[in-house]
Amino acid sequence: MFRIESDRARFREIVRGRIRADLKKYLSTGELIGRAGNHAVSIPLPQIELPRFTFGENPRGKGGKGEGEGESGEGEPSEGQGVGGAGDGAGAHILEVEVDLDELAEMLGQELELPRIQPRGVKELSSEGGRYNGVRATGPDSLRQFRRTFKNALKRTIASGLYDPRDPRVVPIKEDFRFRMRKANPSPESSAVVFHMMDVSGSMGREQKEIVRIKAFWIDTWLRSQYKNLEVVYIVHDAVARVVDHHTFFHLRESGGTKISSAYELCLKLVGEKYRPEDWNIYPFHYSDGDNWSARDTELCISMLRDEILPRVNQFCYGQVKSAHGSGQFKKDLDAALGGEETLVTYGVSDRGDVPEAIKAFLGKGR
Amino acid sequence: MRLKSDLSPALKYQAVLIESAARQAGLDFHEVVFELLDAKDVNGVAAYGGFPVRHPSWRFGMEYERLEKGRQWGLSKIYELVINNDPVYAYLVRSNSLMEQKLVMAHVYGHADFFKHNLWFAPTERKMLDAMADHSTRVRRYIDAFGLDKVEVFLDQVLSLDTLIDPYLPLREHAHAHEPRTLHTPPSERARRMLDSLTASPCDEAAPKPALRARRRAAPTYDVLGFLEEEAPLESWQKDLVHIVRAEAYYFSPQRMTKIMNEGWASFWHSRLLTGGLLEASEILDFADCHSSATHSGPGHFNPYKLGIELFRHAERRGEDVFRLRRVHNDVSLVHKLVDEEFAEAHLRALVPPPVEGATAPGWEALKSWILQELAWGGLPQIELVELGAETGELLFVHHHDGRDLQLARARDTLCNVAALWKRPVALYTVLEKQGKKLVVQNGEAKVHEDPEALTRCGVEPEGGSPRPAHREAG
Repeated sequence: MFRIESDRARFREIVRGRIRADLKKYLSTGELIGRAGNHAVSIPLPQIELPRFTFGENPRGKGGKGEGEGESGEGEPSEGQGVGGAGDGAGAHILEVEVDLDELAEMLGQELELPRIQPRGVKELSSEGGRYNGVRATGPDSLRQFRRTFKNALKRTIASGLYDPRDPRVVPIKEDFRFRMRKANPSPESSAVVFHMMDVSGSMGREQKEIVRIKAFWIDTWLRSQYKNLEVVYIVHDAVARVVDHHTFFHLRESGGTKISSAYELCLKLVGEKYRPEDWNIYPFHYSDGDNWSARDTELCISMLRDEILPRVNQFCYGQVKSAHGSGQFKKDLDAALGGEETLVTYGVSDRGDVPEAIKAFLGKGR
Repeated sequence: MRLKSDLSPALKYQAVLIESAARQAGLDFHEVVFELLDAKDVNGVAAYGGFPVRHPSWRFGMEYERLEKGRQWGLSKIYELVINNDPVYAYLVRSNSLMEQKLVMAHVYGHADFFKHNLWFAPTERKMLDAMADHSTRVRRYIDAFGLDKVEVFLDQVLSLDTLIDPYLPLREHAHAHEPRTLHTPPSERARRMLDSLTASPCDEAAPKPALRARRRAAPTYDVLGFLEEEAPLESWQKDLVHIVRAEAYYFSPQRMTKIMNEGWASFWHSRLLTGGLLEASEILDFADCHSSATHSGPGHFNPYKLGIELFRHAERRGEDVFRLRRVHNDVSLVHKLVDEEFAEAHLRALVPPPVEGATAPGWEALKSWILQELAWGGLPQIELVELGAETGELLFVHHHDGRDLQLARARDTLCNVAALWKRPVALYTVLEKQGKKLVVQNGEAKVHEDPEALTRCGVEPEGGSPRPAHREAG
């Protein structure tokens, strides 16, 4: 193979280094959310280039620029700046780098020192795959193993004294036959479900929602790398809660009152119906600005959490985003009532800069 | 490394036909070796500037990524690659149609003739394939000895200076071939150096230097790399890296200076040869389509193929001897000689943006001097090393200003790389927005001072004067 592959690998290594160095920046901007596909995210980086003396942009001598990456190549494209190269200002080149989501999660894990998650017990068994690596005494002729069959027949013939070297005929009987067998290869597979519950009431401003979305993106990225099978359920609530799709969750603006219990109820209902705790690792995340409809509703939430939700889930995370209007009361109430619960994590975020710390608080326990 | 060379009989037959047609038409070239490659592999070779082996560098990997993306998304496609070597190596892309292969072959013979006969190529290394492989081996040995990080950092610093050469130097020295210093190395010398490099340890300080140092570079000079190679306080492996980068820069320099001519000449001949009876009737339309997309240029789009072929056609109409033109000129001098009002209106007018409402369009002389300025000095700023401070050891550079400012951030970073090699203070006089500036790098720190002296140093008249034309033909 051409040596170019090793240069390409080196280039990619350098690019990964850049992304790693800038990860904190990406963690607190929503830049990557819109760029994530199913398996990879495309990250824009400033072109990595060697500095050279070049012309800048001043009013004279413009026009006629534009490098022709024409249809015909020529002698030395990498060196050939030609006359067309002159008009490019600094940073005009953007390099789009595709990074696997797994790789991104890996970087996130390293940056925030996140522990690997120990799944709660082994759930689904998948028996996909399997190879012909076994032997048995019955089977279809198409799977007959000639060599073993013959060996068995030969052994039996010799043992029974019927073997005659001058007439080395070996006739297999039924017991001699051996057939290849497919061994199923059961591999334990754990599944997880993430509930992102977001308060979209009027008091949650644009910025607050943006913070929630950034957090949700990174949490998904991390959990996806930890579980082979991850489902994400998006729930938005004001006074009533409903399940929405990914796009809606990340774009919705809503207004109205706030009744947090509605979201918890919906979450609980889904857990009961579809994501049973025996089969699923469950991660509910709830984000709000801490305002609730009434103290009674908050009490209802607390009792739901204590009696029904917390026993069923791996970890319940409440992220409170500070807003201009929010009182932040809900977190205080939760901490006061349920502060001792191991599976409950609450974290207050005041601005985007706190996002990495919040993610660390949520995922740092390795549950 | 050996490349697969398995031209099908049909392609071989075409190559023979086209070669004899080209020779009959008066073209003359070294042997041309065609290699058939897959599109992906062509990108690999293209990222290496046409060579199968180059020294390791992430830049080539980056270029390869870019080309591969272009190919996968169908944005760009490389038809042909040809390298100036004896024999000339050219690559054909396996997926091209027979007509396209014929076009490319005819085009390549045009390039091959140009490489052999254009004066600016006369001093270039003709065994560059071997030289590149040798460079690669040397760099790999340094990486083994000193570690990738160390070598890579230094190599990047040197590569950032690879435009700081004197494009006229090789020809000057070639003209005085009796002088001992030449860029062209005789085979015996190459063999000896190869043996030396194989036997010497890369760590050995006292490694025998190549016998190239007959004349010392002294300021003023444009050959900054040559100066640094000889005068900068470098270890022997570092010197050798500078030497390698410099040799490759001088090898590529004529291609930069003659891009329009080179492509124009090749296009001129592929068109003439193929339409002169080498095409089947069924291929004519496809050929016309392919040819016109290669030599097409929209408004504001500069295409060297287009400009070049039009220049040679224009010359022929004027009754010039095109063979002589391709021998003695480079892009600048050819444009200077051939562009007249008719040509400028027909082919240069579209390159500049239309004048804004109410403004008058530039005259054809203005168009001509605009394109000349764009082409001068390989399209790069003219940076000269003028002084070596006797006491401080400070290197002083001057940017010969022609109305176009430097991109300051890059200039600063580049100057820092000079300082990193020189290990003593480095300064550059330049002009930014009509203000004289002195850029100083000292102890790794870059500062920009106001300096009125810079104006005169950079050749700009202090008040209201017109800038001096930048293009000074050195030598």
